[in-house]
Amino acid sequence: MITCGIDLGSVSTEVLILEKNTTENNILSYVIIPTGSNTKEASARCLASACEKASLKKDDINAIVATGYGRVNVAFADKNITEISCHAKGVLEKFSEVRTIIDIGGQDSKVIKIDELKKPIDFLMNDKCAAGTGRFLEVMAKVLEIDISNFGEIFLSTDESVDITSTCTVFAESEIVSLIGQGAEKKTIIRGLIYSIADRIISMVERIGLEEPVCLTGGVAKNIGVKKAIEEKLGIDLLVPDEPQITGALGAAILAQKI
Amino acid sequence: MANIKEKIKKNLQDNLDEKTIKKLLKVMGSWPLISFYGTMFSSVSDKYLNIISIKNIKRAYLDNSNLAYGSLFLPYELFHGLGLSPFLPEVMAGFTAGMGISAKTLKKASSGWYSQDLCTFHRSASGAVDMSLFPKPKFIICSNIACDAAQKSFYIYAKKFAISDSYYLIDVPYSENESSFKYLSAQLENIFYEISSKKKVKPDIGRLKKAILLSNEFRHWALKINEVRKELTNYPKDFNGLNFILPFFSLNGSKEGVLLYKKMYQELKDFNENKPKKKIKKILWLHLKPYYRNEIFDILEKYGLKVVFEEINHIYWQEMDPDRPFESLAKKMMSNFLNGPSDSRIKVIDKLIEEYDIDGVILFAHWGCRQSNGSIRIIKDEVKKHNIPILVLDGDCVDIKNSSVGQIKTRVEGFAEIVSSG
Repeated sequence: MITCGIDLGSVSTEVLILEKNTTENNILSYVIIPTGSNTKEASARCLASACEKASLKKDDINAIVATGYGRVNVAFADKNITEISCHAKGVLEKFSEVRTIIDIGGQDSKVIKIDELKKPIDFLMNDKCAAGTGRFLEVMAKVLEIDISNFGEIFLSTDESVDITSTCTVFAESEIVSLIGQGAEKKTIIRGLIYSIADRIISMVERIGLEEPVCLTGGVAKNIGVKKAIEEKLGIDLLVPDEPQITGALGAAILAQKI
Repeated sequence: MANIKEKIKKNLQDNLDEKTIKKLLKVMGSWPLISFYGTMFSSVSDKYLNIISIKNIKRAYLDNSNLAYGSLFLPYELFHGLGLSPFLPEVMAGFTAGMGISAKTLKKASSGWYSQDLCTFHRSASGAVDMSLFPKPKFIICSNIACDAAQKSFYIYAKKFAISDSYYLIDVPYSENESSFKYLSAQLENIFYEISSKKKVKPDIGRLKKAILLSNEFRHWALKINEVRKELTNYPKDFNGLNFILPFFSLNGSKEGVLLYKKMYQELKDFNENKPKKKIKKILWLHLKPYYRNEIFDILEKYGLKVVFEEINHIYWQEMDPDRPFESLAKKMMSNFLNGPSDSRIKVIDKLIEEYDIDGVILFAHWGCRQSNGSIRIIKDEVKKHNIPILVLDGDCVDIKNSSVGQIKTRVEGFAEIVSSG
C-alpha cells in the first residue's frame, strides 16, 4: 500500500511517500520546499516532485492525508488531520517509547504529550508569537548578518552569552542592534538568542509536564545549538530524528493507511 | 431566515446609533412580525428565546422609566420585585459580537482609555455606552461576585449618566457564615427600600415574594432540563446551552423565564423520543463561548463530540423561601460557586464530569477574564484525575480580531482527535 503525507506549513511544505509492506513502513521519497505565497501550488508541486523522486505517478498513491496550517487548502487530500496527531504518529514511528514531543517550526512551536498507550493526550501550541520559533532566528540572523545555518556551531564555540531580555521578536531585534553597538560579541549574542528560544520551549514543556524520553523535531531541531540549549536546561538528552522536518508528513502518511 | 438576519445586521452596522436600534426594535418587536420571525426558528427554545429577548430589549429601549442596568450573577428576582426592567450590558456586549458591531464599540472603548487588558465584554459595553448605543438607566446594580471589572465599569456608566447616587454595589462576602448572610441580606433589603423610595412607590413585598415563587418555578424547570440533558444525544439544530445567558439571569423571577424553560424542557424531552441514541463523545464546557460566528461547535460535531453541559447552566442555589425574601436572595448569591475560593468551582466541575459522564472538557480562556483563567492550573490538575483530556482554548468571546480562526481550528480539531480516539 502506498500512501502520502503532506505537511503544508506557513514556511515550508513537506511531502512524504510511504510504502507499507507486511512488516514495516518504507519511505520511498520525501521533498521539502518553501511554501511561498501560493499554498495550493506549493502542495501540488511538492507532491509532483516527491512522485518523481519515487518514480511513481500520483495515481499509484492509495491515500493522501494533509496536515499543517494549510491542510484545508490541499484539495486532492483524502483527509486532513491536525499536526498534533500527525507529529505524534511520525515521531513514534521513529522512537516508539517517546512520551514528550517538542516541535519547533518556522512560525510555531508545540509540545505534545504521549501516554503509555502511545496516544497523544495533551498539547500546547505557541503560534501567536514568533518568539520561540524559526522565524525568531531568521530575523536575528539578518540583523547579525550571519547565515542562520552557522548558528549551531557558533553556539558551541563559546561559553559566554548575553541575556536577551525582550520576549517580542521585534523588540529583540532592536535589543540586538543596541548590543552590537555596545560592542557585544556576535557569538555571545547568538548564544543568548538560542537560550531565549530554549527558555520559551522549557516553559511550554513544564506546563505540559516533562516525561522522558523527549524528542525534538521541526526545522529548528537541525540547529545543534538549540538542541544543546534545551538539553542543558532540562538536564536530559533529546532524541532527534535524522530528518526532523518530515515527522509531520511521515505521520500523515501512516494515518493515511487507515483510510 | 438567514437573509433577514443578515439584512438586520447590515442595517445596524451601517447605521450604528440608538435611533436605528429603536427603529429596528419597534419594527421587529411588533406583533405579528415578531410572531412571524419566531416561526423561522426550527427549535422551539430558540424561537422563544429570540422572541422574549427582543421583547425585553425593546422594552428597555423604548421605555426606560424603570430601566436598571445589572451585572451577571445578581438575583434578578430583586429587579422583578421592584418592577425594574433589567438591562445587562455584559450580555449585550455578546450581542454586539453577534451583530457584527463589536469592532466599532471596541474601537470606541480603546479611544476612551479603556485598557486592552480589560475583558471585551466590559470593553465593548463601555464603548457602546460611550457611543450612546445603550439606553439610559435609572439605576445601576452590580456585585463583586467573580468579576471585578463589572463594579468599575458600571461605576463609570453611573458617572456618565449622572446617576452616581443610584449606583448600588452589592458587596458579597467571601466566606459563608451567619454574619455574612446578615450583612448581605441587609444590603439587599436596603436596596429594595431605597429604590422603592426613589421610584416614589410603596415597597411591594408581595411582588418580590411573587418573583421568588416564579424563580422557584424557573429553578424547577431548569433542573429538569439539566437532568434530561444527562441522557440526551439528539439536540435540535443549532441548540447551544450558552445562548441562554440572558434569560438564565435576567428572567429569573419572571413569568417569561418560566415559560421559556418549560418550553425548552418539553422540546428537549420530545426531541429524543423515538429517536435512536447517537454515539457521541460528551464534552463539558467551562466559561462562555465566542458570540461572533465561529466554527467551534461544527468542528466538534464533525468529530462526533457534543457539548452536553455548560458550567454556567448549573443550578447552584436551593429553593427559596418567599416569606424570607432577603435572606433567601442572600443565600442564593452566597452559594454561587464562583464566589469564594476556587475549591467551590472545582467541586462543581468534578460533580458535572461524573454526572454527565464526560469524555473531555473545554475551558474557554476568554482574554482578560482573570476570575476564570486564574484557576486554569488547578482545574487542569483536577480534570486530569478523571483521566479525560482538557483543552484550554485561548480566545475572545467578543473580539473576533483577538482570535485566529486557523489557530482555534487546529486546537479544537487536535483536541477532538484526542477525545475521539480515546
